[in-house]
Amino acid sequence: MKPRRKSETRNPKLETEPRTAFVFPTTRVMPNRNTVGLFAVLLAMWYAGVTQNNGAAYLLCFVFLGVSLVSIVHAWANLRGIAVEAHVLRAAFAGEEFAVNVRISSARRRDLDGIYLLPADGGTSAHFPLVAADAPADGRLTVIAARRGVFATLRLQIESNYPLGFFTARSTGEVAAPHTVYPAPRGELPLPISVTAARSGSGGLRAEGDDFAGVRAWRAGESQRHIDWKAVARGQPLVIKEWSGDTDGTVLLAWESLGDLPTETRLSQLARWIAQAERGGQLYALRLPGVQLPAARGEAHYHACLRRLAEFPAEVEA
Amino acid sequence: MKFFRPSRPLSAVATAPLVIMFCCLALAVAPLFSRVASWALAAFLIAGLTRLHLNRRAARLPSLALKVVLFGSAAGAIAATYGTMVGIEPGLTILVVLVALKMIEANGERDFQVLALLGYFLCLCALFFSQDLLLWLYVGAVFALLSAALIRFHSAPRSAWRPVRTALALTLQAVPIIALLFVFFPRSSSGFRFQFNRSLLGSSGMSDRLSPGSVAALALSEDIAFRVEFPDGATPSISQMYWRGPVLWRGDGLTWVAGPPLPLERRTGQLGGPGIRQQISLQPHGGRWIFALDRPLADTPRFEIQPGGYLLNSRPIFGTLRYDVVSRPENHELTLPAEQMRAALAPAVRPSPRIAALVAEWRRDAADGREIVDRALRHFHVEKFSYSLNPGTYGDGALEEFLFERRIGFCEHYAAAFASLMRAAGLPARVVLGYHGGELNRLGRYMIVRQSDAHAWAEVWLQGSGWLRVDPTEVIAPDRISSGLASYLQTRGDGLDSATGGDSDAARGWRDLSRELGLAWDNINYQWEQRVLNFDEDNQRAFLVQLGFATSQWIPLAFITLTAIGGVLVLVSAWLRRPGRSHRDEAGRAWTEFCARIATAGVRREAWEGPQHFGQRAAAQLEESRDGILRVTDLYSRIRYSPTPPAPAELRAAVRELALEKK
Repeated sequence: MKPRRKSETRNPKLETEPRTAFVFPTTRVMPNRNTVGLFAVLLAMWYAGVTQNNGAAYLLCFVFLGVSLVSIVHAWANLRGIAVEAHVLRAAFAGEEFAVNVRISSARRRDLDGIYLLPADGGTSAHFPLVAADAPADGRLTVIAARRGVFATLRLQIESNYPLGFFTARSTGEVAAPHTVYPAPRGELPLPISVTAARSGSGGLRAEGDDFAGVRAWRAGESQRHIDWKAVARGQPLVIKEWSGDTDGTVLLAWESLGDLPTETRLSQLARWIAQAERGGQLYALRLPGVQLPAARGEAHYHACLRRLAEFPAEVEA
Repeated sequence: MKFFRPSRPLSAVATAPLVIMFCCLALAVAPLFSRVASWALAAFLIAGLTRLHLNRRAARLPSLALKVVLFGSAAGAIAATYGTMVGIEPGLTILVVLVALKMIEANGERDFQVLALLGYFLCLCALFFSQDLLLWLYVGAVFALLSAALIRFHSAPRSAWRPVRTALALTLQAVPIIALLFVFFPRSSSGFRFQFNRSLLGSSGMSDRLSPGSVAALALSEDIAFRVEFPDGATPSISQMYWRGPVLWRGDGLTWVAGPPLPLERRTGQLGGPGIRQQISLQPHGGRWIFALDRPLADTPRFEIQPGGYLLNSRPIFGTLRYDVVSRPENHELTLPAEQMRAALAPAVRPSPRIAALVAEWRRDAADGREIVDRALRHFHVEKFSYSLNPGTYGDGALEEFLFERRIGFCEHYAAAFASLMRAAGLPARVVLGYHGGELNRLGRYMIVRQSDAHAWAEVWLQGSGWLRVDPTEVIAPDRISSGLASYLQTRGDGLDSATGGDSDAARGWRDLSRELGLAWDNINYQWEQRVLNFDEDNQRAFLVQLGFATSQWIPLAFITLTAIGGVLVLVSAWLRRPGRSHRDEAGRAWTEFCARIATAGVRREAWEGPQHFGQRAAAQLEESRDGILRVTDLYSRIRYSPTPPAPAELRAAVRELALEKK
């Protein structure tokens, strides 16, 4: 007995599609700027048909018009059932770009032609000249982080000018892609003064910090980034400028210390302080309403603090 | 000044679409090559090759300044070549130059779309000059290739032929829409109009002037002058097929012209005999006159009868003209208006003494006009005049040289000389230009009249019986009249070319075959012209009435048309939405088949069931096939999820070997 293929192939993606893939919903096919040229040439053909009584020109006009109309349907069908998985690589500050790895495949097991995948709110696109029916294609796009926050999805748009380029098929959707956007580090307030003087074991000078601590001779093998090139230009030997951060102090970065500022400004200022403190090698603690992170430093702490800022509930507008 | 700017690496075009587009554009330019300045064609090729050469890594494309300089010099060259920038040949040259420049700078999607649009426009331009079916098929092929080039640009298909296949699929799916548009799209031929002037069309054919060699110049042209259908089935014999064209009133020896316009006296009922209805489709010749069997009725609609009994169109004919006309073979005109009589008698120059002596002798012997005519014809016969396509050129005193020395000429020489002699003899005479005979296409049951059938004859006014057609060629070369020029020249060995001179059986067989094929092709071309190209406002109205619409009902018509087009698009989209089956995913197909088979055995896989779970359940229910089922599900999960998957062929074999008992 012949297998009932139809009922089986109706949901072909059940077994093979990863769960997180997002299948783009309805596609719209819109005119683009090339459509104007298309109409100009169609008009010229029609005009030649009318004025010259030229049946061949009429026929060419109809062929062109017919093919253009059919190309709209092809453009639409090409974008149907596109499945996209997105994976954000790292958190970013608001206003920065962050990279997103994308994987695109056809939920309908058809070759997809000339697909552009781009962030709906700005960024650079990824171009897939061909996505084969049985081979998902990987790409990377960059998104400009607009607002701080913790997001579960990313708004992406797929676009294609296939087949003839006189119409653009478009579809927009929210693709599952958990990502965090930290507040933009802004604000001119100085870092709060250390509140405790708990000596840490290492102490001494660090090569990084905000305060100039003097110079020493450069040793071979060291990074050339900190060489005082101006001094070299004056004919002096290779020296390294050293900067110190106060490693002894612990700063408390507290929400309430910025009492009279709007929420977002406060968060930006806190983000800047966190960055400053981390760069300066200081221990820093963060205190937000209902949140208390003990003093620490290092990458994990840094991101934990910033993430708390990103998660901070937005001010409810009256 | 920087003449080259770096090409933008992100938008640079891949080589393959660029090569394809260049080839397509070259194909689109090809039919225009005789209409475009040759330097522009060279520039086009150089531009294409330059752009291909520039399609390297880190190559720079020309800067705006260089392009402005190039365009400026091209414009200068056009002005120098043609002396003007307007008109179609300079216009086409500008177009080709623009395509060439666009090709040099093409570096992104936008440029590519513009190039394709220019290519489509070039296709259109080729159709300005000829609407021949072969050309249209060529243009259609170039159109499809241009579409394929665009598809190739927007995709990166696995095979080189896929864009072509897609383009053909687009065209095929568009066929119903094209047919709907063709039938229902409102045709109008009224309103604004512009016409090309004659030189651009390169229309060939006779002029309204007869001079030695003017008909012979057409005699070797196989171009079609017009095609005729006889809808009533009444076909006159070939030798009686005189297709009447312009009538020439003013003669000077061997050169005759139409002369000043004569006042028209509209009288009806002068023609007699059975009416022969003709449907003629006339190729453009740039003049206003039309052709019809001798003699067309004066009250033919659309046309204006002229003194001399031929018809004029309201404007010069630059496109194929299709018309119906009725002719009657007999002429019962018994009185001639005074102006026409004067015009038909006036000799432009006084006849020379030798001619006067010759004519005086005829007049002395003859009792009436008809005898003078007979004497003159007998003179041509007796004095060993000969008929030749290449009679050489006649200088001053052409008439005398022709009559008394060389005695060799083509039909225009005889018609002109005869009419001149009659006027010298005091008989009103004029020359008629037209065609004689034609070739019957049995397939399409129509006559083909070619330029090589061009002919000239004389008419003499005889008191009491009216205008009498006198064709001196009939006396000189009777075969020419009874069987047409081509066969006349063939039998005389006055070969059209040396290749057909050898008359072996094989050669004759080949000639007949190619002639038959030529006629068959001409029939296709003619049907194309009649049914497709000439589908105009009137035909559309008639067709719609046949379908049961009045053309005034344009709102329901438009509604029906748009709905039908929408329906076609829905069908196409349904076709495109059919579920795809990957050719590569063997494992998926084998699994699908396996699931279907288990389902017929009574266990349906639920949508939420993974392969392992489903396998367990099916194996539990179908005990006797337990091992096979578990083997399949195990293979399938390993193919899908194992880092070292087994070959899909193994799964296919396992599915095939699976024995199930039907419930």
